[in-house]
Amino acid sequence: MSSPGKVLRVTFGANPNSSSLGVDVTFLLFGTMAASAIAVLASALLRRARQPEPKADV
Amino acid sequence: MKFGLPQILAARHEQFGGIVATERPRALVHLDRALMRRLGYGPSALWDNPAPSPLSAPTEVHLVLSKRCAAGCKGCYVDATPKGEVMSLDDAKRSLDELARLKVFHIALGGGEAMDIEYLFEVADYARTVGIIPNLTTAGLTLTEAQAERCRVFGQINVSVDGVGAAYEKARGFDGYDRAERALRLLRAVTRHVGINFVVSRSSYDGIDEVARLAKKLKLSELELLRFKPAGRGGGAMFDAEDLTPEQARGIYPKALRLALRRRLRVKLDCSFAPMVFAHNPPPALASFFGVQGCVGGDVLAAVHPDGVVTGCSFGGPPEADGRQVGEFEAAWKTGFRAFRDYVATAPEPCASCRYLSLCRGGCRVVSAARGQWSDPDPGCPRVQDYRAKNPPVRHSMPIV
Ligand SMILES: C[S@@+](CC[C@H](N)C(=O)[O-])C[C@H]1O[C@@H](n2cnc3c(N)ncnc32)[C@H](O)[C@@H]1O
Ligand code: SF4
Repeated sequence: MSSPGKVLRVTFGANPNSSSLGVDVTFLLFGTMAASAIAVLASALLRRARQPEPKADV
Repeated sequence: MKFGLPQILAARHEQFGGIVATERPRALVHLDRALMRRLGYGPSALWDNPAPSPLSAPTEVHLVLSKRCAAGCKGCYVDATPKGEVMSLDDAKRSLDELARLKVFHIALGGGEAMDIEYLFEVADYARTVGIIPNLTTAGLTLTEAQAERCRVFGQINVSVDGVGAAYEKARGFDGYDRAERALRLLRAVTRHVGINFVVSRSSYDGIDEVARLAKKLKLSELELLRFKPAGRGGGAMFDAEDLTPEQARGIYPKALRLALRRRLRVKLDCSFAPMVFAHNPPPALASFFGVQGCVGGDVLAAVHPDGVVTGCSFGGPPEADGRQVGEFEAAWKTGFRAFRDYVATAPEPCASCRYLSLCRGGCRVVSAARGQWSDPDPGCPRVQDYRAKNPPVRHSMPIV
C-alpha cells in the first residue's frame, strides 16, 4: 500500500511583523507525543480539506 | 484559533514535498511528497533532486513600503523620519507580481508608518488579488475609524505597544500609549486578528506582564515579543544600554510560557530569540515540527526595501537583487543569500558542536555584527556566553624587548 504521507511542520497564524518571523513557542509545552498527534490529525483533515481550483498547477 | 475542516488557500512544491497555506486554522503546513500527491499536487521537477535544498522561495516577505514616519521612536531600527523614502505604488505592485510568481504566501507591510501612506489599502487589495495574504504592523497613532474598517483586508494586524502608560513613553520616547490603545480597540471592533508587538529591551523587560494583561483584557489574538536589535537608531550606545542582560536572556522563554499558560494567550517570540529558547533544551524534533527556528533570513524570509533592494532580513544583510525587476528575486534566491545560508556549514564553536545548530542557525546575525563579526555566534546566546566564560579569547601581547 502506498504511504499515507506525513505532515512535517506546522506554523500557526500569520506573521504581521515587518521585521522578523515570530513563532508560537507555547506549542513546545505539548511534548513530542502531542506533536505526533497533531501531525496525524492535520494530515487527516487536510485530506478532506476544501482545495483551490485548479490544483494541478502549483 | 479556529479548527474545523480546513480550507487550502494556496500550495506550492518544495524539494521535500510541498507547503500548503490553510484557513481554519490559519497555518502553513509542510507536507512530504506522499501527502502532496494524496492531495493531488504532484509530481514536481523539484522532487528529482534527492538532496535537501533551500525553499523554492521565501514563505513570507517584508515589503518595506517606506522609511517615512513622524513618530520618531528613539530606538527605531529603520531610522524612519518624516521625510524618509517611500516606495511608489507601481513599484509595490511590481514587487507583488514577482512575489506572487514565486508563490510567496504572506507579505508583512511595514515601514516607516504604512498607515500614513495613502495607497496602503490599494497595495493590500492588490496582494489579495494576486493570491498573497497581506499583514500589517502599525504604531496606530493616527488610526481613524474609517481606516480601521478597511483593515479587514489584512490577515493579521499588530499594533506596537512597548509598555502600558508611562512605560510606553519610556520605551519609545513620546507619550503615545492612549492612542495605541485606542487603535487596538478600533481594530478589535472590526477583526479578531489583532495583536501586539512588544520590543523587549533591558528597560522594557519588566513591563511585559502588564502588556500581556492588556492583550488579554482586549481579547487580542497574540502578543509577539521582539528582541531589541542594534540597527538604525537602535544601534551604537542605544544597543549598549538596551541589550538584554544575561539573566533576562535566560528568562525570556520561561516568561513567555508562563504568560501563555497564565493568561491563556498566544505568545510568540521572534526568530532572534531562538538561542534563548534552545538554551532550555526543548526536543529538537518538536522545535522543528512547530517551526521554532533561529535566523530565518534568506530561508523563510526576505525583505524588499523602498528602493527595491532585496535583503535576507529587514535588519540587515547584503543587497541581493532589485525586487521590482522581473526574475531578479528568483535568480538571487536560487544561489544567493550566502551571508545567511552559509552560517551552518561554517559555524565556529560553540555553535559547531551544538545540537540546535541547524535549527538556530547561530542566532541573530545583526546582533553578532554589532558586537563583532557578522559570522560570529550570537553573543546573546546563553551557551555562547558560557563557552566564552570558559574559553576567553587569547590575547597576543607584544614581547617586551
Ligand atoms: C519599524 S516598525 C514599523 C511599523 C510601525 N511604524 C510601528 O511602529 O509599529 C516595525 C516593528 O519594529 C519594531 N522595532 C522598531 N525598532 C526596533 C528595534 N531596534 N529592534 C527591534 N524591533 C524594533 C517596532 O516596535 C515595530 O513593532
Ligand atoms: S550555540 Fe549557536 S547554534 Fe547553539 S543555541 Fe547558541 S547560537 Fe544557537
